[in-house]
Amino acid sequence: MIWLDPKVDLANLALVLILGSAFATLWLPAWISVAGSAVSVFVFNWMFVSPRGHLNVEVHQDTLLLISLLLVTWIIAALMAVQRATSDQAGAHARQAEQLRDFGETLRDSPDPLVHAELLRQALSALTSGDVKLLVVKGETPQGDEGENALLLGRPGADQLEGLWHCVRSAKPLGHGTGRYSALPDWYFPMRGREATLGAALVGRAITSPNIEGSMQAGLRSQAQALCDQFGLAMERALTARAAARARDLAQTQNVRNAMLAAISHDYRTPLATIMGAASSLAEQGPRLDDEQRERLARTIMEESTQLSRLTDNMLQLARLYAPGMRLGLDWESAEEVVGAILRRVRRHDPDRRVRAILEPGLPLARCDALLLSQMLDNLVDNALKYSASLLPVEIAVRRQEGNIVFSVSDRGMGVHPDWRERIFEAFQRGVAAQAPDALPADARAAQRGAGVGLTVCRAIARAHGGELSYRPREGGGSTFEFRLPEVEPPRVAREAAREGVP
Amino acid sequence: MTLRVLLVEDDRGLRVTLRDAMTVEGYKVYTAASLQEGMMLLSNVKPDGGDADEAGVDLILLDLGLPDGSGEAVLAAVRRRHSIPVVVISARQEDGLKIGLLDQGADDYLVKPFSIGELLARMRVALRHRGTYLKAAVTLYESEGLTIDLVGRQVSHNNVPIHLTPTEFQLLARLARSAGQVVTHRQLLNDVWGAEFVEHTHYLRLYMAQLRGKLEVDPADPQRLLTELGVGYRLIDAAR
Repeated sequence: MIWLDPKVDLANLALVLILGSAFATLWLPAWISVAGSAVSVFVFNWMFVSPRGHLNVEVHQDTLLLISLLLVTWIIAALMAVQRATSDQAGAHARQAEQLRDFGETLRDSPDPLVHAELLRQALSALTSGDVKLLVVKGETPQGDEGENALLLGRPGADQLEGLWHCVRSAKPLGHGTGRYSALPDWYFPMRGREATLGAALVGRAITSPNIEGSMQAGLRSQAQALCDQFGLAMERALTARAAARARDLAQTQNVRNAMLAAISHDYRTPLATIMGAASSLAEQGPRLDDEQRERLARTIMEESTQLSRLTDNMLQLARLYAPGMRLGLDWESAEEVVGAILRRVRRHDPDRRVRAILEPGLPLARCDALLLSQMLDNLVDNALKYSASLLPVEIAVRRQEGNIVFSVSDRGMGVHPDWRERIFEAFQRGVAAQAPDALPADARAAQRGAGVGLTVCRAIARAHGGELSYRPREGGGSTFEFRLPEVEPPRVAREAAREGVP
Repeated sequence: MTLRVLLVEDDRGLRVTLRDAMTVEGYKVYTAASLQEGMMLLSNVKPDGGDADEAGVDLILLDLGLPDGSGEAVLAAVRRRHSIPVVVISARQEDGLKIGLLDQGADDYLVKPFSIGELLARMRVALRHRGTYLKAAVTLYESEGLTIDLVGRQVSHNNVPIHLTPTEFQLLARLARSAGQVVTHRQLLNDVWGAEFVEHTHYLRLYMAQLRGKLEVDPADPQRLLTELGVGYRLIDAAR
């Protein structure tokens, strides 16, 4: 300005002053800008308005100029302050909305919101910069014995705990400005779900001090309440989901139990009766029977007990497969080995070597539970041998098809009636077959008898592996049961090892 | 010489049946219905005029679920003092349990129900294996035309040499040293590849497939290198 002084007149210098103070208000707080502009007007008067070096003003016109200068700079400062306050508030609202959204997303992604209780505490604490204590109800709002079922964060005192529980029960916020228990030193916010209140938050003294404006307190309160309600809703959602899962598990357990009772009452009685007959005959008429008769009876007992043993294995496996949280013993298995082990076992009751294996060369390793897979194939082979005439071959084949390893067991038996092609896999259908056997076609009856829970177990095993077991009639007569096991890429090291092994 | 068997089994029916069956086969059978009784018999039965430290029986048949504790305790106690064969019989069939017992020193494992024929066969293998084990380490395996010379590192079938890679030979040799017995996946991986490979079952699958390709007539229906699903492998016993 001193440099400009000789070049421009007083009015233009005044404009430069206004420009300067306008810039200052952009960055400085309102009261500093007001004081600053007053000082600068006085300095301007001192330096540029004649007589220079005095605060006196010679010309009236200059007085008007100085007063205008002062007022204009003050108005600018005031406008700026209002503008800044508005934008601060908008920023705060945006931050609060963002906080709510982030918190909501965290809760939505988590199956158990309880683990995020600490996050809620931090959020409330950051919002109000006060001491925050939480009470979260872990189950449905309890009656009577409350302490057992609640999670406490931040160690509330006895009075505070009383307040928190009161807040949970009344489902309304308490404390200064809420219209309820205004004399309380702290604020209490309920965590409200749609139907129940699943906790309460206590927000400490810091923000309830009277030097924060009423409107700001109300804003903070509604934000805190929104956070708490969001948590309450998430808790309620998780509890509902858990209750539904429990009910589902229970229903499934009940179904399995029913199927087992049906199977035990029917499938166990027949072989037991046969064993009982043969054994009592051996015990009571032993000396009067010839050697051949005795041996035949003993063999009957052996065969029927083998059947019972298989039935028991299947029954136990079914219970295990349907148990919640069942885990497979997955490993890299070679289809050739599993089939080989089955062939060896089958030979014992297949001396004529009816069972044949056909394996596609170069099969990849299968990711599966070897014992379960062998139990499935065992069941399928056993059924195939039982339901096709003796001397007709039974084939176990393994091939690759469309990203699956396909295990199939085929026979040349009578096949399964179209009405029964799905139902043979359902354990419950046994009950129907048992009740009205004469109403069924003969082949369905045959497929049902003895298969028992066997095919149900097979399908459960297939599904536990992420695969599927299905029936299809075979060209030229007979049945094929196919298990499709999704192929999984084996670990890379395996290939290197295989290369190293080739001489 | 009559072989003596200690049978520890709490179910009376099965105990009597097994005792009778083994007696018919010519074994002398001591029976115990509980863990305590079994341990007592084991420490009291002494061979005639034998060493006081020597076990008085030649083989132990051990049930796992006993009224006064688990048979695993007997297994541990026996293994601390003796090298007599132990065959476990149990109604439990989780493979984790089987593998654990085999690793702890059981010679074999039979899941109830089983046929007497199978039990007797397993007992014979266990006894035979212990016999050779006590005399000397196996150096030569011969069975149905297959010869494995563990010292000279030669394998031949009907006197025709079979070429094996070093790893294939090591794997076969490990099985031959325990011929007739199940060797667990873990033992094989540890002994052939090393301790850091015990989880790498896929190595075993590939090498077993290669071995079967060279030693079996039909690799899909093996007659020598048998698979014990979920547990391990067994090379059929040499003397059969």
